[in-house]
Amino acid sequence: MPQDLIRNFSIIAHIDHGKSTLADRLLEATETVAPRDMQDQVLDQLDLEREAQAVRMSYRGHDGRTYELNLIDTPGHVDFSYEVSRSLAACEGALLVVDASQGVEAQTLANVYQAIEHNLEIIPVINKIDLPAADPELVRREIAEMIGLPGDGAILTSARQGIGIDEVLDAVARRVPPPRGDASAPLRALIFDAKYDAYRGVVVYVRLFDGGLRPGMRVRMMASGREFVVDEVGIFSPAMIPIDELACGEVGYLIASIKNVRDSKVGDTVTDAARPTRHALPGYRAATPMVFAGIFPVDTDSVEDLKESLARLNLNDASLVYEPESSVALGFGFRCGFLGLLHLEIVQERLEREFGLSLITTAPTVEYRVRLRSGETVAVDNPDMLPDPSHIEAIEEPRTKATIIVPNAYVGTIMELCQERRGEFISMEYQPGDRMQLAYDLPLGEIIHDFYDQLKSRSRGYASLDYEIAGFRAEALVKLDILVGGQRVDALSMIVHRDRAREQGRRLAERLRKLIPRQLFEVPIQAAIGGKIVARETVSAMRKDVLAKCYGGDVTRKRKLLEKQREGKRRMKRVGNIDIPQEAFMAVLKLDEP
Amino acid sequence: MSAPALSELRALYVHIPFCERKCEYCDFASIAGKRAETVYTQALLAEIRMLGQRFPGVTLETVFFGGGTPSFIEPALLAGVLDEVRSVFSIAPGAEVTLEANPSSTSRERAEQWLGAGFNRVSLGVQSLEADVLRFLGRVHEARRAVDAVGEVREAGFGSVNCDLIYAVPRLGDARWRRTVQRVVAAAPDHVSCYELTVEPGTPLHVAVARGDVTPVSGSRALRQHRIAIDELAAAGYAQYEVSNFARPGAECRHNLVYWTGGYYLGAGVGAHGHVPAAAAPALAAPADETAVAIRYWHGRGIAAYVRAVEANLLPLQGTEVISAATREYERLMLGLRLRDGVSITEPRVRQAADALLRRGLLEAAPGSRLRTTARGEAVLNQVALLLTEELAA
Repeated sequence: MPQDLIRNFSIIAHIDHGKSTLADRLLEATETVAPRDMQDQVLDQLDLEREAQAVRMSYRGHDGRTYELNLIDTPGHVDFSYEVSRSLAACEGALLVVDASQGVEAQTLANVYQAIEHNLEIIPVINKIDLPAADPELVRREIAEMIGLPGDGAILTSARQGIGIDEVLDAVARRVPPPRGDASAPLRALIFDAKYDAYRGVVVYVRLFDGGLRPGMRVRMMASGREFVVDEVGIFSPAMIPIDELACGEVGYLIASIKNVRDSKVGDTVTDAARPTRHALPGYRAATPMVFAGIFPVDTDSVEDLKESLARLNLNDASLVYEPESSVALGFGFRCGFLGLLHLEIVQERLEREFGLSLITTAPTVEYRVRLRSGETVAVDNPDMLPDPSHIEAIEEPRTKATIIVPNAYVGTIMELCQERRGEFISMEYQPGDRMQLAYDLPLGEIIHDFYDQLKSRSRGYASLDYEIAGFRAEALVKLDILVGGQRVDALSMIVHRDRAREQGRRLAERLRKLIPRQLFEVPIQAAIGGKIVARETVSAMRKDVLAKCYGGDVTRKRKLLEKQREGKRRMKRVGNIDIPQEAFMAVLKLDEP
Repeated sequence: MSAPALSELRALYVHIPFCERKCEYCDFASIAGKRAETVYTQALLAEIRMLGQRFPGVTLETVFFGGGTPSFIEPALLAGVLDEVRSVFSIAPGAEVTLEANPSSTSRERAEQWLGAGFNRVSLGVQSLEADVLRFLGRVHEARRAVDAVGEVREAGFGSVNCDLIYAVPRLGDARWRRTVQRVVAAAPDHVSCYELTVEPGTPLHVAVARGDVTPVSGSRALRQHRIAIDELAAAGYAQYEVSNFARPGAECRHNLVYWTGGYYLGAGVGAHGHVPAAAAPALAAPADETAVAIRYWHGRGIAAYVRAVEANLLPLQGTEVISAATREYERLMLGLRLRDGVSITEPRVRQAADALLRRGLLEAAPGSRLRTTARGEAVLNQVALLLTEELAA
């Protein structure tokens, strides 16, 4: 395929704005997938939101020439913004899909800005024009005013009804520039995704910027320095199809007996070990975990299983970091670092679902920088590990610059939420369609504690959020401890702002009272700051739990009923002589709920 | 099969599944109507003969005909079954032979026939003396009938009579419950059982609760009514000897005590359960390994399948369970805690858990170095049992 007929593009869209449906229609229209083989939404076959995928389509343009269109999907969540940036870096163009009834959302905006930074040709697509609430003209104005793209060029589509699909393909062929790059130069290929396959090792998703890639070549990953011999190269159509060569400008995969995704990091450059390039592709950075939580097995005997399962997940997910941790309350487990909350949830769900583990996850926290009086600075990703206050000079917390787009009607309540969460107002801009774009300086530690859900529920789902990390700042932070039955439970400690500590202690104690079931005796729950009790609640003693009948000789059944009850207790964690349910350790996440 | 073990087998339960109608809360093996009574009792006779062949030389100290409603079927059929029991096994002099009866199928004449057949104890399903409660429960008799029935079995000559009562029924207030207990006491039975209404899966009551048509009473009201029963009955000379059972001195139900003290028993008829020494496993063709100290078996609930099995000369077993020493110990604690006499605890780790419960006032010392629950411990008996059996269950 001549390089000038190749078009690499991705789709930028907010969740639910129709990205998957549009992609399906493109695959059908180019006969990449026959309609009858079309399972619903090829791009979403894998249920994990971070998977990027790439599909090659062949399109006969209005000029009579046949184009090779490579669609690179991007993960749809803010946790994976780095992965998004690498997917965008692999393209020359992007479709910006906006729901005609919803308008531009904050995360879309962030991704569009990234695409503009990468000099991508952006083709606005206003989708779902068939909906009664569709207002394509308003969305056109938003695209012009919020993003600064000519709204006139927007293509009107209804992916569901197949309207405007050929216009989209035609625009990709005409407007997206062909890849530049030198086919005869040393190989430079960008890794934009990698997946571990139990049978074939790591499948590396690449975009070639210079040179070509063939089986038998010895390649070097420039950041990790590791070298591998290529066993196979190919394309996705959408199934994996081996080919003889991936040429300059093309998108596809390589397989090279790579055992661990750590050896093929997203953003790294693949080059020819025999004739290496001198210049790696720009933009590589190691993924840094932002959110930390302890993961413990409910059954203390399963620590080894948990360790093995984390190692297995790690094969496919280099951004997950973990190290052994021990808690007085929860026993042995692992302190894990994640890209964000969704990443945490994905890992937790996979551990439970794929590996059958029953887990307790402690409330997520961020990494604080603690400056000690000794002049030393330590990183603290576990509240329980906070040094004694007498040694602390200052505690710095990670801050974010958060962008929120919200209808005018909810601006007040959302600003209130940001205030409650110690946000500092930066700016406010009117947008078309009676919407406001707010910018706040917010602590990351506040964002990961139920901020998104609150934002959604207080705006009836209309507000959207994006944030980027914006450095560290010293704040008056203190450790809040929780005592259950008079004993401090290390796994329930959290770091909070001094001004809010009392209130949060009160809410947490109240929340725990509702979550901890009645025990044989009264259980006091206390919140304490530096040894001073700031809140107290009591779980009153269980009054009645007795089987009324035990006759007829069916003793087996009675025993089984009792055992069933025991199973229920086993799913809880016994701390001292108190049974604490799994949810209690995440209680801090729901402090704002009534 | 060793004789000493079998000599401990001294109880027999016989199930009669027929009822005038099925009560709203009932999850026992029962069926409305008695068209199959003759066929069924024929099969029952055959099963009893089979049991007699497999468990020879058994002398019964207690026999219990339960249901269903045994009183509902023809007295002559009941007599026939009891005759068969007597000829297949032997019934010890002074044995307790109980018949469960409903007031609606009790009369002076029938009671005389039962006595003549060899029964010496009647357990009456009174349940309530409040018309609306009886209706709610789906009972067929009226309050007056229940009181009359006690008199009829007395007049017929029964020296031992029990009344079953149910509390924690929606809309049955504490005062009316107290009055019910008092009126039953006035009828002078020897034994009273007071059961909390429980919502069992698969019952019409369960459906009603799931639909929201019926709200079960709160745990605290149920507990209050339990204590009302204890107080009223104690004042009238009935001692609580098991969580839900009360008797005048010497009138405790010996058959039920066999269950609660881990004794052996045979069960005949649909839905019946048996508990026999491990040595008897071959007699049941039950799998048993070297850990077995006893076998528990149970029959299915379907009458047709039961009859077919017995006609084919097979014991109609639906399942068996190997009881190991650990399981037996578990059950001993679980059941023993229900008794006023309490349970002896010697195993060091269990004793340690028990000591903690003693300190917390959930257990107390009972005669014979036994431990029993306090009133507070009894209310949370499941939790106490869970704590004491923790080591055994691990």
